[in-house]
Amino acid sequence: MLAVYRREWHGSVFSAFIEPLVVLAGLGIGLGVLVGDKAAAITGGVSYVTYIAPALMASSAMNLGAGEAAWPILARVAWVRIYHAIIATPLNAADVMVGAIAFIVGKVAFAATFFAAVLLITGIATSPLGALGMIGVSILTAFAFAAPIVAFSVTQKSDQGFAFIFRLIITPLAFFSGTYFPIENLPFAAQVLSWCTPLAHGVALSRALALGTPLTNIGFHLAALLLWGVGGTIAAIYLFRKRMLK
Amino acid sequence: MGMTNSAAEPTALIRAQGLTKVFGARSAVDGINFEVRDGEFFGFLGPNGAGKTTTMRMIAGVSPRTSGTLEIFGQDPDLHGSEIRGQIGVVHQQETLDMELSVRENLLVFGRFFGMDRPSIATRADELLELFQLSDRAKDQVEPLSGGMKRRLSIARSLIASPRVLMLDEPTTGLDPQARHLLWDALQRLKRGGTTIVLTTHYMDEAEQLCDRLVVMDQAKIVAEGSPRQLIVEHASREVLELRFPNGTESIDTKVLEGIGDRYERLAERVISWSTALILRAGSCDAQAWRMSSFGLRAGHSTSERRAERFADALAKSPCCDSRSGTTPNALATHRRLHARRLSAGVARLRFQRLH
Repeated sequence: MLAVYRREWHGSVFSAFIEPLVVLAGLGIGLGVLVGDKAAAITGGVSYVTYIAPALMASSAMNLGAGEAAWPILARVAWVRIYHAIIATPLNAADVMVGAIAFIVGKVAFAATFFAAVLLITGIATSPLGALGMIGVSILTAFAFAAPIVAFSVTQKSDQGFAFIFRLIITPLAFFSGTYFPIENLPFAAQVLSWCTPLAHGVALSRALALGTPLTNIGFHLAALLLWGVGGTIAAIYLFRKRMLK
Repeated sequence: MGMTNSAAEPTALIRAQGLTKVFGARSAVDGINFEVRDGEFFGFLGPNGAGKTTTMRMIAGVSPRTSGTLEIFGQDPDLHGSEIRGQIGVVHQQETLDMELSVRENLLVFGRFFGMDRPSIATRADELLELFQLSDRAKDQVEPLSGGMKRRLSIARSLIASPRVLMLDEPTTGLDPQARHLLWDALQRLKRGGTTIVLTTHYMDEAEQLCDRLVVMDQAKIVAEGSPRQLIVEHASREVLELRFPNGTESIDTKVLEGIGDRYERLAERVISWSTALILRAGSCDAQAWRMSSFGLRAGHSTSERRAERFADALAKSPCCDSRSGTTPNALATHRRLHARRLSAGVARLRFQRLH
């Protein structure tokens, strides 16, 4: 797996790091100017770029984690069928799934480190310790998305189901999880829905760590992320076993 | 584990009794008994859907059995799957190579899954690349390799941890004849080196060439068992003759074939006649052949049994025969082909008996 990573990482790292930075530059500079002084009202005084940057970091962790949990996993169970070969070795279903999820999370950790460094250099992140915490939050966010999506992927025969996941879940979440505007601006029902998904928690933690504001409800946020991650992992092991060992 | 079988022959590596696998309402494997002994080349022969692959999966510990007993190295795969898999090399019917890695990396990564240390994996990988004539492709990507090379790489990969048993599920399906023979040679070398090999196939010639012992499976059951030679003697028809339809004809009235054999199998463009006795009675050969040829039938292959051959010769010489595409059956009835056809006839007859 590591050998695969060595071969692949230039491509994945490039897109994973650069894309959110482009978004950040575009939105921060363009939209930031447009929003102008009004931003202060919702951002608590900081510039719009500073407001959305740590949120974009969590959001890109979601994107990368979800993407890696979709096509590459489906390919290994259905297309190139490497997993069929792997379960014929002493490894068991839990080894394979935990390994796959850990690998995705590891990949995100790389990307997050780069992102955090950029935020630290540009002064958006206020302290190295906060930046370190943000990397941890990105890892947890990726875990919370990757694990349940891996569980979904191992049940699929084609990639059609991914359109549903990405259009109806991942893309809307990027907008309605407090990334570009506070969750409190949403109708109450949407707020509840948003807090049920992982990204809102990742965004809240990431932003607080970047801006150095007090961490509120930290237990709630961490628990939500871990619940999704651990629950997803258990589901992935169960569903993988069901598909492969019949 | 294994205690109830302390009396078991030490030489039986795999032992199944009443082994059954049910999917929903369908029995994929229905109470089969067999034993694979240390060092032998054992085959499961049968048509697609006979239950061969399911049996292989149960042995490999990736498919829990529904009932019956199954012991591999004296252990139950349901309880000791990981340990058993550590001593078995599996080659799947469909390619499962990692297309993102090079030829050699495929072996290296796989060795890690067996918990081997890196230096021994590297040594073993180079040994295997040499053995399977892949050394010069070691650094290449897998994707552009030919089908035969991919299959050899799959087998090499399955041998990385020096397993006691190598399991091959239809290893030569989809390969060209030359690639098949290369693979057969490699497998025979492995067997001589002491590896126990279990293979499934639906090719008679493959079973005949490779297996010391085989079981014939059909519709989830074992219908015959023995060495290829025994199976031929016990079950095969004495004569097999293939007749080709005239060009452009897809079928022919079977009445034409009366008196030729006991039974016919109609295939695209040709018909195969099986007979258990010498039905081509002396003297009628030429007349029969003439009648066949008047309907445009041409002789294809036949076993080299004297009378079938004589018939085919007569057919080839007959005035109505299209001389341009007339085939000399003698030249085609090689030793290998003959036995494959006879074994094939035997298996077909077994199926026939079961169905009627």
